[in-house]
Amino acid sequence: MTDTPLPPDDADEVLAGEYVLGLLDLPERSAATARITRDPAFAARVAAWENRLSPLNDAYPETAPPPGTLAAVEARLFPKPARRRLWTWGAAGAVAASLALWLALTPPQPDYLATLAAADTGLTFQAQVAGDTLTITRIAGPAPDATYVLELWVIIGDAPPRSLGLLTDTTQTIALPGAASGQTLAISQEPPGGSPGDAPTGPILALAPLAPT
Amino acid sequence: MEDDPVARLIEATAKADRAAFRSLYGATSAKLMGVLIRILGDRAEAEEALQEVYTRVWLKAARFDVARGRGMTWLIALTRNLAIDRLRQRPDAPHDGDELLAQVSDPTPRAETRLIASGEARRIQDCLDQLPPDRATALRGAYIAGRSYADLAQAAGVPLNTMRTWLRRALLALKGCMGT
Repeated sequence: MTDTPLPPDDADEVLAGEYVLGLLDLPERSAATARITRDPAFAARVAAWENRLSPLNDAYPETAPPPGTLAAVEARLFPKPARRRLWTWGAAGAVAASLALWLALTPPQPDYLATLAAADTGLTFQAQVAGDTLTITRIAGPAPDATYVLELWVIIGDAPPRSLGLLTDTTQTIALPGAASGQTLAISQEPPGGSPGDAPTGPILALAPLAPT
Repeated sequence: MEDDPVARLIEATAKADRAAFRSLYGATSAKLMGVLIRILGDRAEAEEALQEVYTRVWLKAARFDVARGRGMTWLIALTRNLAIDRLRQRPDAPHDGDELLAQVSDPTPRAETRLIASGEARRIQDCLDQLPPDRATALRGAYIAGRSYADLAQAAGVPLNTMRTWLRRALLALKGCMGT
C-alpha cells in the first residue's frame, strides 16, 4: 500500500483523529496541542473526534482511588495563606519599633489570591491582589529559556483576555485596578517579545480565578 | 439539552464552587482512575496522575463547553491526554525507528474487544466491524491503551508506515461510516 498524501482537509481531519487516538509522538503531540489553542476549526475537529470515539470509554473499568486523593488535590489548589506572626520582644520600645518597621515593610493583607499551576511542567505562580496591585511570584518550575516568554492575562467575564505584560522576574508587581472575585488570571507561552496581537497565541499553561481571601 | 449532571458540576466548578468540585470528584474519580491505570499500567503512577487530573479540572473547568459534548467525555479526554503525555515523555517511550520491547505486544483481547451494547455505542461498534479486523484492533488499542504507531506496528508485525496508512484510512472510513 502506498502512502499517498491526503488532501489538506482530510489531512487535518486525520491529524485531529490521530491526536485523539493518542498516536502521535511527543513533538507531534505538542504541535497539535498548540494548534488546538490557536485554531478553532482544528479544535472543533478534535472535539468531534472525542465525541465520536467516546463510546469506547465504556471499556475503562471503574477503580476506586485511594482515600486522601481529593484532600491532596485541595491542599495543592487552595493553599492556606501563610499567617504573619507577630513576635514579642522583651522591651516595649523594641516592640513598637519593630512593629513600625514591620508595617512599613509588609504589604497590605491581600484581597484576592490565585495559584496558577501548569500541570505538565510543575511551573507554579502564586498571585495576590491587594488594592490595585497584583503581586505575582514564581514559586516552582523553570524560568523560561531564550526561546519563549510567559505572558500574563486577565479575563473578565466574557471579554477577551487582556494582557498584563510579560513575566520576566521571579516576583513582579503589576497594576490591576478593579480586581474582583471571578476574574481569571492566565499565563500563556508566547514567542520572545510576547504575543504579537491582542490575544494569546501560544498554549495557555495555567489559569486560575481570583479567590477572595 | 439531555440531562448531564457531570456537565453541571463542571460548570459550577468553573465558578470556583468548591462543593461542586468535591461532588464532581465523588461522581467521576473511579472512572478516571480506571482510565489512568489502563493507560499508564502502573497503579502508583495512576494515583499520582489522578491528583494532576483534578488539579487540571479545577484550572480548566471554564474551558468546558457544554455545546461541544458531555461532561464525562470532556473529563476522560483531559485524563487520556495527561496519561498519553506521560507515556510519551517516558525515557523508554518508543519513537519511530527505535528498538521495541517485546512486552508491547499484547494479543490478549481485553475489555475493549467485549461487545459494546448500548445504542450510541452500537454505531461505532458496527462501523469498527466494517474495518479489516487488524485495523479495528489497532484503533481500539490506540484509543484505550494509548499505544503509539510504533507500538501498534510492532504488535501487528507490520512496518511503521503501513500502520500509519492503515489507521489514517481507518479514521476517514470511520468518520464516513458514523456520518458525523
